[in-house]
Amino acid sequence: MANLRIEHLNKRYGATTVLNDVNLKIEDGEFVVLVGPSGCGKSTLLRMIAGLDGASGGDIHIAGKPVNTLAPAERGIAMVFQSYALYPHMNVRKNMTFGLKFTGVPPAERERRVAEAARMLRLEELLERYPRDLSGGQRQRVAIGRAIVREPAVFLFDEPLSNLDAALRVSTRVEIANLHRLLKSTIVYVTHDQVEAMTLADRIVVMNKGCIEQVGRPLDLYYAPANLFVAGFIGSPAMNFFEAKVGSVEGGCARVAGPGFRSFDLPTASLRVGDTLTVGVRPEHLGRGEDGPFAVEGVVELVERLGESSFAYVRRADDRLFVAEVRGRQTPMPGERATFFAAARDVHVFDAASLRVSTQNDA
Amino acid sequence: MTAEQRARSLGVHLVLIAYSLLAVGPILLVVMNSFKTRSAIFGSPLAPPDATTFSLVGYEKVFRSSHILTYYSNSLIVTLVSMALVLLFGAMAAWALTEYRFRGSTALALFLSIGIMVPIRLGSVAILNMMRSAGLNDTLTALILVYVAQGLPMSIFILSEFIQQIPKDLRDAARCDGVPETRIFFEVVAPLLRPAIATVAVFTIVPIWNDLWFPLILTSSDSTHTVTLGVQQFLGQYITDWNSVLAALSMAILPVVVIYVILSRQLIAGLTSGAVK
Amino acid sequence: MPESVSNITAQMPRAKLAGLLLFFLGPAVAIYSLFSIYPLVATMALSTYTSDPSGGRHFVGLANFQTLLGDALWSKPFWNAFGNNLIFFAVHMCVQNPIGIALAGLLSLPGLRLKGFYRTVMFLPTMLSVVIVGFSWNLILSPLWGVASGALKAVGLGSLFAPWLGLESSALVTLSLISVWQFVGIPMMLIYAALLNIPDELIDAARVDGLGHFRIFFHIKLPLVLPTISLVSVLTFVANFNAFDLIYSVKGALAGPNFATDILGTFFYRTFFGNQLQLGNPTMGSAVATVMFFIILVGLCLYLFLVQRRIRRFAF
Ligand SMILES: Nc1ncnc2c1ncn2[C@@H]1O[C@H](COP(=O)(O)OP(=O)(O)OP(=O)(O)O)[C@@H](O)[C@H]1O
Ligand SMILES: [Mg+2]
Repeated sequence: MANLRIEHLNKRYGATTVLNDVNLKIEDGEFVVLVGPSGCGKSTLLRMIAGLDGASGGDIHIAGKPVNTLAPAERGIAMVFQSYALYPHMNVRKNMTFGLKFTGVPPAERERRVAEAARMLRLEELLERYPRDLSGGQRQRVAIGRAIVREPAVFLFDEPLSNLDAALRVSTRVEIANLHRLLKSTIVYVTHDQVEAMTLADRIVVMNKGCIEQVGRPLDLYYAPANLFVAGFIGSPAMNFFEAKVGSVEGGCARVAGPGFRSFDLPTASLRVGDTLTVGVRPEHLGRGEDGPFAVEGVVELVERLGESSFAYVRRADDRLFVAEVRGRQTPMPGERATFFAAARDVHVFDAASLRVSTQNDA
Repeated sequence: MTAEQRARSLGVHLVLIAYSLLAVGPILLVVMNSFKTRSAIFGSPLAPPDATTFSLVGYEKVFRSSHILTYYSNSLIVTLVSMALVLLFGAMAAWALTEYRFRGSTALALFLSIGIMVPIRLGSVAILNMMRSAGLNDTLTALILVYVAQGLPMSIFILSEFIQQIPKDLRDAARCDGVPETRIFFEVVAPLLRPAIATVAVFTIVPIWNDLWFPLILTSSDSTHTVTLGVQQFLGQYITDWNSVLAALSMAILPVVVIYVILSRQLIAGLTSGAVK
Repeated sequence: MPESVSNITAQMPRAKLAGLLLFFLGPAVAIYSLFSIYPLVATMALSTYTSDPSGGRHFVGLANFQTLLGDALWSKPFWNAFGNNLIFFAVHMCVQNPIGIALAGLLSLPGLRLKGFYRTVMFLPTMLSVVIVGFSWNLILSPLWGVASGALKAVGLGSLFAPWLGLESSALVTLSLISVWQFVGIPMMLIYAALLNIPDELIDAARVDGLGHFRIFFHIKLPLVLPTISLVSVLTFVANFNAFDLIYSVKGALAGPNFATDILGTFFYRTFFGNQLQLGNPTMGSAVATVMFFIILVGLCLYLFLVQRRIRRFAF
């Protein structure tokens, strides 16, 4: 178990920059999830921590030691791959012990670790089987078992659940959470799945185009996204955005106005008249009862019914669409004219540089 | 099936059967007649041997007047040793070329691929000189060295394609596990290359077994002749003795056919595996 | 698209990388350089020398090539062998490829039964030694045995029979056809493999569009396997211009009758080792080998620059 410190990490392939000045501190025992759009460099970052890819610049420290020049095996990490990467010609037991042979673990100790991991992951019955005779979920557990027996300081997971079907994904997710509780080890986990990220993470790292956009606890990211990218990336369906301008500034309040929604006052001192803004409201925060300063009106064009709630696609007067989540049985009908409201704390405002404008509502 | 489909399928099978007959007919004819008396060979060449026409006189002659068993063991030694070395060194080189990034790797790959297209035979004059001055003239070692050099480029090419198909995660997982690089090759990668052996065999090993040229120029005594050369010389010598000629041909054909039939599934799978396109 | 080359070497100490490369590449590169590349280069070098009766060697520049191409004593047999080689190659291209394509097409028909059997049987000759195949056909076509003439008589074509291998006019083509018979398995298998690689959905789509089996084959499958066909052609070219075993085992080093079946391989052998008519001449032999090398090189370049470039590879 160990902490992990990444400083000014850069990765370039020829002229393309894949990671750009990444800085990250992960505490001992923390479960950190990396999310971001495809190709943003999550796997690259993970592989660099593992030592599978070299850095073009910057430092990585594990347990306070610089590891840049160390081989993967010397870094005290274990990695679980998306494809599981089980050795096809070795049975489960051999898969788990193979790596230990080369790191000087005595045979008796190897057996003990395998037995323990097998017990933890319910693999006892499968130890003599070959990977081809295992189901996807079982392979996944073997891959995790192979990581556990190394007793690493840091676990690295690269989209470990993406090859499983939906039901199995949920149960394995719970298992991984349990495992983390049990082992108390440091984990860096890459995923595409927001639910995985929100449920598993102590902290989430949102990446985009090789840069870290925001690091924070799951609910912080959800309720106070630091910038437009994070606001749009976290949450599903994505947050609605409205173009806006500062109409007037008066007594610590800025009047925010824009096409398609009712102007409202924002309790902040940091804005000037004429500033360009983007207002963001999550679909699930748009309600039909009048309970906030923010109101937007339009004609319902399409309704997607999910059961517990429905998504209404609403066209505003300025011809743009927004989405509102409507709970309960009273779904609006297409063609209906409707007004949706949002509470002050659910209205996010971003400035021209895409950064969050902090307001007194944030407190 | 409609009548039309049935007719078409019948037509396809007729064509394929006809060609199959053309392909094995001559071989069958030679093997069949090698078991017959001289008069039956000429009297009814198309009939299989029966109680009255059966004869092994040709085979007796071959065993008596040639060193056929020596030829066989020579061919076996040369082919098996060459095969082992071609596979081992080929796989090792293919691994280094596909896995490690180093300066000059592209140039080296190009250098190695010259041998795929340019036949090593064209260097025969110098090869003979070299072997003579190294005292390897008329030895099986000389043949093996030449065949390994001849087979390596193609086997490196084929094995590279196979190695590229092994998931990259597997090697990375081994590295995270702390497996040394040489062990990654021998214990993780090499066992997964087994399907490639058949492909390499078709393109490099079979030509070695069948080669006439290098035994002809590099070996001069009976004790170093291979089957192909030994039978070729025997045929030239006993050209008028039909029993012996047919027997000698059959003795060259039969082992190959037997091995081929046993391994044909793997060989053909190796050929059509998509590694060579 | 990440490459397959590993980045692991980036962090490796130089000495360790050098050691690994030496270990993995050393044996292959050493044997290959010593017994394949060095002899080729040495042979080319030797082609610029001549040896006197006492065994001494003198540098003569390109004189050997002038002799080979300019002196009628040498150039006549050389051009004869070259021409014969072209015919040998042409027969392969015109017979082996179409038959190979047709057989591959039939074998790849969906739902064909006995596929494995046909494949195995039709590929069998390719596995045998050229010497054995050549000699077997020599017997079968021999008027002494009478198998071929008997077979022709049985179908009423007895009058067509002639000792083809013995006649100056037909010996070369007959030998070429024997070689085709043996090696048709290679184009068949490679094209068959390429045909199998065409996704079923593509064929289904064409079926839905209303194309029949023949149209599908000619308009969809054939264009998609063109790269394979051109690869087969260049493999055939190299093999043909370097062939020797068949002619030597059927017709001997003199490639009779009257050099009608002489190709570059046998010409090279005679020049190098000599025969009843002349003494062996290693330096002239080297010159012949060098010319053969350049012929193959020109063929390969033509393929790479004219054919390969125009053919588009399709990704499925
Ligand atoms: N060897 C390489 N050469 C050049 N570019 C590369 C290489 N490896 C990765 N890249 C590029 O680096 C970028 C980041 O890749 P990476 O695999 O880290 O993305 P990712 O965030 O894991 O995406 P995904 O979610 O799809 O797995 C991509 O744009 C990719 O094309
Ligand atoms: Mg990834």
